[in-house]
Amino acid sequence: VTLLMGGPKLVKCAEDEDFMSAFDKMLAENIQHRSTETVKVPTLDIAIPQNMKVKAKAAPIEPKPESPTDTVNFVLMTRRGNKAQYHNLDIPVTSDLAINLRNREQEAVER
Amino acid sequence: EEEEEDTYYTKDLPNHACKFCGIHDPNCVVMCGMCKKWFCNGRGNTSGSHIINHLVRAKHKEVTLHKDGALGETVLECYNCGCRNVFLLGFIPAKADSVVVLLCRQPCATQSNLKDMNWDQTQWQPLIQDRCFLPWLVKVPSEHEQLRARQITAQQINKLEEIWKENPNATLEDLEKPGVDEEPQAVLLRYEDAYQYQNILGPLVKLEADYDRKLKESQTHSNITVRWDLGLNKKRLAYFTMPKTDSDMRLMPGDELRIRYEGELGPKWKEVGHVVKVPDNYTEDVCIELRSNAGAPVDLTHNFAIDFVWKSTSFDRMQAAMKTFAVDETSVSGYIYHKLLGHEVEDVVMKTQLPKRFSAPGLPELNHSQVYAVKTVLQRPLSLIQGPPGTGKTVTSASIVYHLAKQNNGQILVCAPSNIAVDQLTEKIHRTGLKVVRLCAKSREAIDSPVSFLALHNQIRNMESLPELQKLQQLKDETGELSSADEKRYRTLKRNAERELLQHADVICCTCVGAGDPRLQKFQFRTVLVDESTQATEPECMVPIILGCKQLILVGDHCQLGPVVMCKKAARAGLSQSLFERLVVLGIRPIRLQVQYRMHPALSAFPSNIFYEGSLQNGVTAAERTKKGLDFPWPQPDKPMFFYATSGQEEIASSGTSYLNRTEASNVEKITTKFLRAGVKPDQIGIITPYEGQRAFVVQYMQFGGQLHTKLYMEVEVASVDAFQGREKDFIILSCVRANEHQGIGFLNDPRRLNVALTRARYGIIIVGNPKVLSKQPLWNNLLVDYKEQKVLVEGPLNNLKESMVQFSKPRKLVN
Ligand SMILES: [Zn+2]
Ligand SMILES: [Zn+2]
Ligand SMILES: [Zn+2]
Repeated sequence: VTLLMGGPKLVKCAEDEDFMSAFDKMLAENIQHRSTETVKVPTLDIAIPQNMKVKAKAAPIEPKPESPTDTVNFVLMTRRGNKAQYHNLDIPVTSDLAINLRNREQEAVER
Repeated sequence: EEEEEDTYYTKDLPNHACKFCGIHDPNCVVMCGMCKKWFCNGRGNTSGSHIINHLVRAKHKEVTLHKDGALGETVLECYNCGCRNVFLLGFIPAKADSVVVLLCRQPCATQSNLKDMNWDQTQWQPLIQDRCFLPWLVKVPSEHEQLRARQITAQQINKLEEIWKENPNATLEDLEKPGVDEEPQAVLLRYEDAYQYQNILGPLVKLEADYDRKLKESQTHSNITVRWDLGLNKKRLAYFTMPKTDSDMRLMPGDELRIRYEGELGPKWKEVGHVVKVPDNYTEDVCIELRSNAGAPVDLTHNFAIDFVWKSTSFDRMQAAMKTFAVDETSVSGYIYHKLLGHEVEDVVMKTQLPKRFSAPGLPELNHSQVYAVKTVLQRPLSLIQGPPGTGKTVTSASIVYHLAKQNNGQILVCAPSNIAVDQLTEKIHRTGLKVVRLCAKSREAIDSPVSFLALHNQIRNMESLPELQKLQQLKDETGELSSADEKRYRTLKRNAERELLQHADVICCTCVGAGDPRLQKFQFRTVLVDESTQATEPECMVPIILGCKQLILVGDHCQLGPVVMCKKAARAGLSQSLFERLVVLGIRPIRLQVQYRMHPALSAFPSNIFYEGSLQNGVTAAERTKKGLDFPWPQPDKPMFFYATSGQEEIASSGTSYLNRTEASNVEKITTKFLRAGVKPDQIGIITPYEGQRAFVVQYMQFGGQLHTKLYMEVEVASVDAFQGREKDFIILSCVRANEHQGIGFLNDPRRLNVALTRARYGIIIVGNPKVLSKQPLWNNLLVDYKEQKVLVEGPLNNLKESMVQFSKPRKLVN
């Protein structure tokens, strides 16, 4: 039995290089195409439901020594047809998203 | 119901298992909305997660999350507009709450009223970062899981995606069945004989032809709106815009398109035309000139369709050339025959009367290395001339052609792979006073060039000795058509006139494949010069050679970009190696031109050291390459160059490819604006991006985001390295574009491409990029160390550039 250590390793090859450039190309083209087409979109009106606010505020993020496995609870808003849907999400405390939120909260407290 | 499967891996796997690796944790997989296949968010051994690998290769864009995952069955779409293109989707967090919402990048995430609400617009981030879905949205399978899963390589993924295009139910195991993927025999260094040569290169040309055909024939567009016009030659012109496609195909002048009317307001109609105009920075318009005006529904504008017409001509000519090489012993001299096949032959010195002066009339005086080249070439039956950037390759070639012509050894055939290169050389040869005919493909006769007056079809129009032909030509131009008797007479007269003009020329210039034109069929050329020969494939280069060659001159630079081969299989088998390169490997020493007249000496030092063993000398002084009074913040006043390091802050966010692109585009725009403000003309600035896809983004960014008049930015040329080969600009901005942990540097890994990118500028160069990532690559590491030592590795705002103290990464060992 061979014991594999560590994670999978990136194997460089022409096909992978091609994939990366195809990715960049696809991304750039989609962005460019989007900016040239005139899409009619509804005016933005995305209210954060009151109950979400309470829920989010009720669980303040404690400043404590953190490990990358610690998570913060976020709510993701999506929509299906006309109905808004709310999903609970566990986001690592070390993610940009969590760090930014904590910074803003601290600023608010200090003010 | 279990699907019928015949293999171990898929037998026990649920339908939602990753089609690549078999991972099937519902939190880790998503379904492609187009083909309904499932893929995981793990990278395995590749640079992107399996789902992203699939989306990119299949050009699919929508996904659905699994019903048993944390979010339940969810189609990812913009909360506001419903856009489902995952390449456009991202999220923004609320300002004060732990709530996020999915929004498309544009227009929803940029709507101005967002500011007034509780959302933090500035925090928009793409859902796909580092070629992976955000892990909090689709879990990344653990390393342990990934190692236990089926190991699939990027090659296998690629092949599987290819097979799915024909058979959507194919599995990884089908790859192992015989016949699916056989590699063709690779090229050799030496060949037994010309039959073996043909037997190896013929199939590679066939592969490339098949690839080209498949690509072109898959291009059909409906619902095209046409604007009609009439050309000066009374031929009908159709203008239209083609929708952007995801294919790699680029339209070229001379390409053939078929236009069809599909609407109800008139009879069905179709006609073939040649492309005379392609999209540029100014408009997206394409223009074709119809072969016949008859029946064109010029009062209709809507409901047209456009198809590509694939032509096998150039491939047929290459195949024919290799056949002639094999079967016709008069196709080349014995010496050339054996040399080309890599056989040992005793060297031959030709008996020639050397001229007293080596410079040619009408052309600049030659320098010592150019004189040496001309002198040597004249005495040898086979020579290679290597012309590094800016060393006067074209002038040297034209001077050689002049002396060869004066030696009276018959007509000289001068070729290059591209029309642009042929035109440039034609113009220089014309200046020496030689009688030159430029032979163009029939499909390109309508395309204007600086040497149009030397083109065979135009010289015929101006032949006053043939009043009858002139009259018929005039009639044809005015009415668009001739009676069949007149047409017959016209053709005979024209053919005779063409032959006469060609026979009396000192020099005939055409592209390599143009040398296979039927109008040259009866001609023999004992002397052939091929310019830019390092950009031609071998079979392409053979087309002019097999017309009786006894003295062959190949000009080029194998340290710059090689021929473009679209078919990967053919390229891997060696079709992308030029004849010049193979001859160099066989030990034929090229004569190198050594004095460069293009770059400021500070700019030529690095390329000279790295790519030409330090042999490049400067034919221009720093003073001659300094723009007086130019207000530009060069960090070292005597060195018009710097490496603009992307700042640390951006590096943190660099996990999002799109964010990085935006930063780069913005930096490029700022530098461009600075140049324009300082009075540099827009057409003197060139922006090089390594990827064609990025080009469009930078163009668009400058036009929307630039502070000066849009028109100024439109005149700035933004193009890939490949498009800049053979050309120069006063100032070059090189945007390295991609930089993050999971990827290489892609195209810029190729030393030849880097060489070309670094040697386009005359007065100044700025490289924008991420030193930390680039320095992993040995060549770039060299460059960065060099720039750092010269104190031109900088960061910060343009008006306050400071030396960057960024630590380089250890370069990886070069693996071959
Ligand atoms: Zn799909
Ligand atoms: Zn997978
Ligand atoms: Zn939207």
